[in-house]
Amino acid sequence: MQNQANGTAINIKGTRDGLLFTLGRGEDEAVLIALAQELTAKREFLKGSKVTLDVGARPLNRSQLARLLKLFSEDGLELWAVLAERDSTRDAARQLGLATRIPGSATDLEGNYLRGASEPERNAAAHPTPGCLLLRETVRSGRAIHHEGDVVIIGDVNPGAEIIAGGNVIVWGRLRGLVHAGAYGDHTTLICALELNPTQLRIADQIAVAPEGKRKKFIPEQATIRQGQIIAEAWPTRA
Amino acid sequence: MSGKVITVTSGKGGVGKTTITANLSVALASMGKKVVAIDSDIGLRNLDIVMGLENRIVYDLVDVIEGRCRLRQAMIRDKRLPELYLIPAAQTRDKMAVSPSDMVVLCDQLRAEVDYIMIDCPAGIERGFRNAVAPADQVLIVSNPEVSSVRDADRIVGLVEAEEKGPPRLIINRLKPAMVARQEMLSVEDVLEILNIELVGIVPEDESVVISTNRGQPLVLTGLNGASAGQAFRNIARRLDGQDVPFIDLSHKESFMDRLKGWVNGRN
Repeated sequence: MQNQANGTAINIKGTRDGLLFTLGRGEDEAVLIALAQELTAKREFLKGSKVTLDVGARPLNRSQLARLLKLFSEDGLELWAVLAERDSTRDAARQLGLATRIPGSATDLEGNYLRGASEPERNAAAHPTPGCLLLRETVRSGRAIHHEGDVVIIGDVNPGAEIIAGGNVIVWGRLRGLVHAGAYGDHTTLICALELNPTQLRIADQIAVAPEGKRKKFIPEQATIRQGQIIAEAWPTRA
Repeated sequence: MSGKVITVTSGKGGVGKTTITANLSVALASMGKKVVAIDSDIGLRNLDIVMGLENRIVYDLVDVIEGRCRLRQAMIRDKRLPELYLIPAAQTRDKMAVSPSDMVVLCDQLRAEVDYIMIDCPAGIERGFRNAVAPADQVLIVSNPEVSSVRDADRIVGLVEAEEKGPPRLIINRLKPAMVARQEMLSVEDVLEILNIELVGIVPEDESVVISTNRGQPLVLTGLNGASAGQAFRNIARRLDGQDVPFIDLSHKESFMDRLKGWVNGRN
């Protein structure tokens, strides 16, 4: 039982930047214990390595991250970067002086391309799909989500928030902020929302704003580029 | 005794944080609770004026934190309510004189002595905000029914959530039911649709708030006639104390003049 938990909870991989530890699913405490066991067991082998820790969607606060940092340093490992999907976790990691980026992204926070990742070409067809970012929360004013692939938000995107994606953007909720789909120039991407009422929409190099005036009723809509212009239309449903 | 720390914040300035902090503190104290109000707006202190305690300041928040006086010495006892205290902000320093962990330590000390610690947060999202929110058990967000105020409140909700403070609660301040009825002001529903957090009170626009603020007598104390805002403050205080208080019906009754205006404007 314990061995099985060890096998699934922690995954260690060698990369150019050192070791990549990926935390699997499971209770925080159980994963932590599994990690500690793993580190102690392979201590001699791992000693002195630089470590990147991928926590996935797991929300970790500053004190939890500090505990992890201590855990690694106790076994002679240097934790230098934390990969996390959540902003709050990344903020906490940065406060501890760690490097951060979203798993799967090719750039760091300043937009510099990370070693090993090639600069994406500005050609839609040649651009690889780096996967989808799923957020199950309200994206509030002042937050910016950058992702190279598709972005799916289950929740609202409030005015003052920004979603910038290389691929499509799907909002299962009210879209009232700014969304940029196909940010690398892909004209074929689309933006759809249960309530499409954005401050501004951008697809590839096109920009559109919602028509003036208050609409009473909203239906699910999608926005795409047609004849060089962004067009919003009702989500096609079969009668 | 283990007191509860409640921080009143808004992001945007001028929406009524200080007035609400003062009135909720007075309302809680008049319910028999022991309350300390802390002004964390260092450099721009106001809470002492609204509470009418300005001329009794000897020591302030920064004096306590820098060890120039004991905590007790900086707690100004209210003349009218013996269980109400104020720790004023320093006027000659700035926000950097205090750190978030200073506030946590200070509030932990106060928790042992009082039921409620009410913190008046400065406008903005920088150091002053972080100081005020760090010790909070509960964050109250004040918003006016106005687009820019709601936008800032939304930002604050995000920041409070990131601090892992638990869900903040909302006070909508300065609502004018007549304007809402004419669709000239955001309604309570409009605000809630964006912010999507629990509503703990609606304070109607009320001229007596200005009068009482200028006199340094919180409205809750004066019992000015027709003080509908005063009742709203008392209700919020009871809700904060865990009581179930129904919301006052603020829906606007259309008068003959309103209907006439409606016809003229081509409504109906």
